[in-house]
Amino acid sequence: MVHAPALSRMRRAALTVAAVVSMSAMAACSAEGGSPAVPPGAGAPETAAADAFANAPVAAASEILPGSTMEKIKQRGELIVGGSLDAPLLSQQNPVTGQVEGFDADLGKMLAKYIIGRPKVKIVNSASETREALLSNGTVDVVFQTYTITPERAEQVAFAGPYYTSGLAVAVKKGITGITKPEDLDGKTVIAGANTPAIPAIKKVAPNAEIVTFGSDPECVQALKQGRGVAYVQDQSLLVANGKSDPDLQVVGEPFTTDPYGIGLKHADDQMKTFVNGWLKKIQDAGLWQQAWKNSIGTVVQGEAPAPPAIGSVPGS
Amino acid sequence: MDALSGNLPALWDGLVVTLRLTLLALAGAFAIGAVVATARVSPVPVLRAAGTVYVETLQNIPLLVLLILAVFGLPEIGVQAGLFTTAVVVIALYQAAYVAEALRSGINSVAAGQGEAARALGLTFTASLRHVVLPQALATVVQPLGNIVIMLTMNTSLAAAVGVVELTAAANRVNLIEAQPIPIFVGAGVAYMLLASVAGYVTGVLERRLAIVR
Amino acid sequence: MTNLMAFARGKGLAAAKGGAPARLLFDEPGPRARRRIRVATVVASLAVLALLLLAVRQFAAAGQLDAARWQPYATWPMWRYLLNGLWSTLLAAVVSAALAMAGGLVLALGRLSSRRPVRWASAAYIEVVRTVPALLLVYVVLFALPRYGLDLPLFWKLVVPLAVSNAAAFAGIFRAGVLSVDRGQTEAGLAIGLTRGRTMRMIVLPQAARRVLPSIVSQSVGLLKDTSLGFVVSYAELLYSGKVLANYNHLLIQTYIVVALVYLVVNASLSKLARTLESRQARA
Repeated sequence: MVHAPALSRMRRAALTVAAVVSMSAMAACSAEGGSPAVPPGAGAPETAAADAFANAPVAAASEILPGSTMEKIKQRGELIVGGSLDAPLLSQQNPVTGQVEGFDADLGKMLAKYIIGRPKVKIVNSASETREALLSNGTVDVVFQTYTITPERAEQVAFAGPYYTSGLAVAVKKGITGITKPEDLDGKTVIAGANTPAIPAIKKVAPNAEIVTFGSDPECVQALKQGRGVAYVQDQSLLVANGKSDPDLQVVGEPFTTDPYGIGLKHADDQMKTFVNGWLKKIQDAGLWQQAWKNSIGTVVQGEAPAPPAIGSVPGS
Repeated sequence: MDALSGNLPALWDGLVVTLRLTLLALAGAFAIGAVVATARVSPVPVLRAAGTVYVETLQNIPLLVLLILAVFGLPEIGVQAGLFTTAVVVIALYQAAYVAEALRSGINSVAAGQGEAARALGLTFTASLRHVVLPQALATVVQPLGNIVIMLTMNTSLAAAVGVVELTAAANRVNLIEAQPIPIFVGAGVAYMLLASVAGYVTGVLERRLAIVR
Repeated sequence: MTNLMAFARGKGLAAAKGGAPARLLFDEPGPRARRRIRVATVVASLAVLALLLLAVRQFAAAGQLDAARWQPYATWPMWRYLLNGLWSTLLAAVVSAALAMAGGLVLALGRLSSRRPVRWASAAYIEVVRTVPALLLVYVVLFALPRYGLDLPLFWKLVVPLAVSNAAAFAGIFRAGVLSVDRGQTEAGLAIGLTRGRTMRMIVLPQAARRVLPSIVSQSVGLLKDTSLGFVVSYAELLYSGKVLANYNHLLIQTYIVVALVYLVVNASLSKLARTLESRQARA
């Protein structure tokens, strides 16, 4: 059966040749069109991303151990990633090119290039509750999907990394006062994405907050603007991005959680874990990690790329 | 089963919201449906056309899409209402199209002679509809209307997608915390079945009451 | 979701045959009534028009009608993306419909079986499934089954619950169809020495199939609408594609208006097909 990822794979195959061309065309397009519909930085970084893949390392043949997961992936010629199509800045499908763009997506492509020699990735769109099952039954090779490392999860899956540290923050409609820290949300109506880590996090800091959930980020933003809640709790970088494109939105304070994201792997696959950690170290040393950050989250967050978290520094990794 | 019993308050609240959604939307759907059905059989061409457009539009767009559009679109045309209210109104409008169709086919099932006889007696359009045609139509539409009641009950679960914490959303939330999907979802399923069987029972009783013995 | 209309329609099958045209409910309006109708029509239309204009003005005032907000939907790549979604919608609908029809036929025959346990099991399935929301079934496939080691591919996560729930609806349609075939047909079949199975297969089902065709088409429209649950599953059908698009271009309302219109056009065409089939049968 042709399902969505297969479709996008077909599309991607057709587009591989034309990718660089169409991307630069798009950059030109957004430069002259100036349409507010095009998200900030959607054009220019694409060519940079293509460069990042050109410079990305490929593993030495000796590192692809016989009988390992890496060898299986290499023989297949494609890395199967559990991820999203609708996570802006991290893993968001660009409807114009069919490509999936963002920090997670770029790291996935670089890992594919490291193993296979080409950045060939198939994304299996996965609900967050099913990731452990997808890894354990081998539907996907790795998971790049804001997968927070916790000791409980580490009993079911292996984590390489952490490769990024993020945190939840609070946004309000511009002009709203009285909310300066997450504890101020107690007793108020708070908007959060359905099935996101924001829900338990809000319950923790503001047990009496009433949580209203919506299916996607733009829905939550719209709901906030329409006053369906006083605040919106979401990953900070996403909120900053929203604030950039929408002057009605204001991010309050600093992130109140620390979420170390890991690369999900099959439980007890130590070979693969060592291999992926080795790759992560390499792209960090080569400045490619930083470049991927600049091309995605860096388009909305000011300043230089942060220092990547130390590999293996979190319980469960 | 602990996951179920430990979270009964949350699930109970969800069930109450589902019940309120169902009853309010049902009242709305029947009222609007009756109006639309009348429009569709009325002597006024514009009303007939409007009725047709109404039914065609609402039956051919998924309820989920209508809900999302209403929740996020209505405030943009200056109609600001709560999530629950919006959900009630949208579900009522959506199901009204089905109620109207059921009523219309009921009216059509009444023998032609009945309408002619009513007119021959000098009854007006509304009077012949009310005193002659509808009472007979009602007997044949009880079953389809009962099915619409069940359908509406099931459809209230879609309000979960626009932030209304009804039974399905409550079950989903409890599952996010407890990670015990089987007892929680089975529990919610049983609750829906109970609601539906009440509807089925009432339908059965009504059908027997309204049956016309010839 | 819309499954239950099937039962309603099934019931209506026999009734619709001798249906009186609605026109007989009133006399042709005379000149005075016609004038009144005309005046009322004009007044009411103006009122509706005024309301619509007000809504559009508000909509424009909120900036939702700005050309920049609609311009992306005048470009091919956006439509290509949505049409891809529509294709996935149709694919999911066709596969679930095929499975649901096969299941429905088995269930309908089960309910009409001469063996009590078979009859009972089929009735139980139909009663249980038609009173559980499709969304809940989706949640079971999405969250519960993977816990027990059964993690279906995305496509099947949408198709399986839809097929399971629609099978009950199709069973209702088929059963009504079979029952609508005159008893004499079955008796005649048995009288010429056919077995029960053969009578069903060769005499009753072919006649029933023709009669239920319109109901099947309209049930399929319902099923096509149900595929919008892909939104929850994150299977890239039309509505989910709309979600990804809105995420990308931040044009939430415009995107869902376009998506709603696409559903409307596709489903209205299918409904029209159902009506054409129905009227052709009424003539036959």
